[in-house]
Amino acid sequence: MGMMATALPALDEELVVDVSSNGPWQTVVWNDPVNLMSYVAHVFRTYFGFSGARAHQLMLTVHHDGHAVVAEGPRETMEAHVRAMHEYGLWATVRRAES
Amino acid sequence: MTEPVTASFVDVEATFLRELVEQYLELVTAGAADDPAVARLTPAAYRDDDDASAEFAALTRDDLLGGRATEAERVLADLIAARSVDAAAEADVIVRIAPDSQTAWMRTLNGLRLVLAARIGIVDDGDDASDDARYGAYEWLGYRLELLVQSISG
Repeated sequence: MGMMATALPALDEELVVDVSSNGPWQTVVWNDPVNLMSYVAHVFRTYFGFSGARAHQLMLTVHHDGHAVVAEGPRETMEAHVRAMHEYGLWATVRRAES
Repeated sequence: MTEPVTASFVDVEATFLRELVEQYLELVTAGAADDPAVARLTPAAYRDDDDASAEFAALTRDDLLGGRATEAERVLADLIAARSVDAAAEADVIVRIAPDSQTAWMRTLNGLRLVLAARIGIVDDGDDASDDARYGAYEWLGYRLELLVQSISG
C-alpha cells in the first residue's frame, strides 16, 4: 500500500482500496474543456449507476484533478466501459492499476 | 429517462440544428481517419500503448461511428416530425423527444460540440476561440445540451 499511496496521490481511499480484489485494470476519464459538467455527471449516474452525489463527486474529481478512476476490474470489462464512454463522447482510457 | 421531454426551438434554430446534424451525419458516415474531429470522436483507448490502442480501434471504431450515424438519423427524424405550432415565421418548433431517443439527442448535441471544438481549436482548458464565427454555434449547442440534460435528469 505504501507504493500505491505514493503512485496515486490524487485518489481517495475509496477508489484504491479494492484494487487487489477487483483486478489490475482501471477505467480513467480525463478532463477536457468541451464536455459539460452536468453531462459528465449524468453519464456517470446513468451508465455506472452511481448515486447523484457520487456521480457529481467523480465529475468534480475529473474537473479539478484532470482525471478520475471510475471503475476497476478485469481488462475486458474496462475496455467495454471505455468503449461506452467514447460512445458518450467522454475522453476515457484503460490502464493498469499500478501505473 | 422514463418520460418524453420536449425541446422548444424558434424556427430558424430548428432549421440551423437540422443543417448541423446533417453535416455531422456526413462526417461520421465518411469517418475520415485524418480528420481531427473524427479523431476526437474516436479517441485512443490507451495512453501509452499504441498497439493496444490500434487493436481496440480495429474492434470498435466502425461500430462507434456507425452508432453516431444512427443517433444522428434519429435526431433528424425527430426534428422533421416536429410541427410548427404556428405558421408564423417566429413560431416555436416543439420537438418531442421520446425516452428511447433521449440518449441519441444528448450524444449528438455533445458530439456536434466536440466536432466544432476540434474545428475551432478548443483542445485544452483555457483555449479561447470566441473570435471564431463558429463559436456562437458551439456555445449555443452547449446551452441546448444543458437544457436537455436538466429536463432529462430532473
